[in-house]
Amino acid sequence: MADEIENRQEDDARLQRLLKEHLPRRLPPPHLRAAIVEAVGQETRPRRWWALWMPPAAAAAAMALVMLLWLAPSLPTTTTGDPLRILAYAVISEHARAILWGESRSDVVPAVLPRAMEESGVALSWVFTGDDTIRLVNAQPTYLDGRRGIELDYRDVDGHTVTYVILPAGAITLPDRGRVRIDRWRPLVRTEGGFSLIIWSQQNLLCVLVSDLVSDADLAKFKEYFVKVRSSTEPYAVY
Amino acid sequence: MTDEAFLQQALQHLEALHNLAAYLTRNGSEAEDLVQETYVRALRFSHRFQPGTHLRAWLFQILRNTFLTFYRLRERESAISEDGVPEGESPMFQDSPAQDGERSAVHMDLERALVRLPEEFKTPLLLAEVEGLPLEDVARIMDCPIGTVKSRIFRAKERLRGHLKDYGEDPKV
Repeated sequence: MADEIENRQEDDARLQRLLKEHLPRRLPPPHLRAAIVEAVGQETRPRRWWALWMPPAAAAAAMALVMLLWLAPSLPTTTTGDPLRILAYAVISEHARAILWGESRSDVVPAVLPRAMEESGVALSWVFTGDDTIRLVNAQPTYLDGRRGIELDYRDVDGHTVTYVILPAGAITLPDRGRVRIDRWRPLVRTEGGFSLIIWSQQNLLCVLVSDLVSDADLAKFKEYFVKVRSSTEPYAVY
Repeated sequence: MTDEAFLQQALQHLEALHNLAAYLTRNGSEAEDLVQETYVRALRFSHRFQPGTHLRAWLFQILRNTFLTFYRLRERESAISEDGVPEGESPMFQDSPAQDGERSAVHMDLERALVRLPEEFKTPLLLAEVEGLPLEDVARIMDCPIGTVKSRIFRAKERLRGHLKDYGEDPKV
């Protein structure tokens, strides 16, 4: 037993020596120090006179927005009916906006995703970033039908945009009618206004996948995308 | 302490921070970005640093947190080949100074074995055994109890020994 402990200690010491003496030291390139000084300088540089007004102006604007959001539910509205349908149309509008003006920023998605999660109140412990048929091209916070959430835009190899919106479910419950078995799940599958929607709930969140893939062949493809997204993305609400 | 003085003090640890960043990101330019972001954040939150405490450990903590926030997502994207070296990229070892063949092979095997370790094992091992940080500091950086750090280092060494055997490398070099 004592020999074993002694051997272990010797072995540890050898490994420690190996790491210290043989593990290549990754030295910083010569330009890095200057780049850091410059980056830090930009961060701490004295602000211009108008910049002094920015924080109070932004705070006032944010306050006005909060007041507006607070008052909005009590304002008269002309929209009545199925809340799920209202939400579906809001998501479709967002999807149309992504098709028309959405940016493809797959290279910066890993950088913008943490900010989008922070601002949306929806975090993702795992996220489907794409494969050889479909790719995550944008991520941003969104605000739909009075709900703050996150929007992920995918683009497939044929150029179709697939928008994935995750919002707090609130009082919305998914009806049994219209549910379709896809792989091991039973989401709601709908066609609204020429768009296909797959809607499901996950962790008290309402998840909506929308696309213009409507023909039978395209719908089969859309369901495959659903399986990829559903199995590889784990959202949860952080508020 | 002025920002300038703080930065100068912090820059004394640039080499150590870059070394850890390189082993975490396995990519030269990402390591540079990570180190640069670490310094920007350190300066932004320098008022939270308590003078007299270990600046080096505080900077390592910022670097690790930044890595976990911004860079871990990319790990899922980059394909890792069987031997743990990112596919399509040259091993990090390639830009190391030229050395004799046998010594280079040891370096490369050691580096490849280390790259195969999960972050939660690799970071405490590098901090404690290579950078020589006390376990208390490593525990603070890893945000876990000292016992957990000891256990992770132990398991990291076990795995490292196993990986080195895979490469036919004798850890008793």
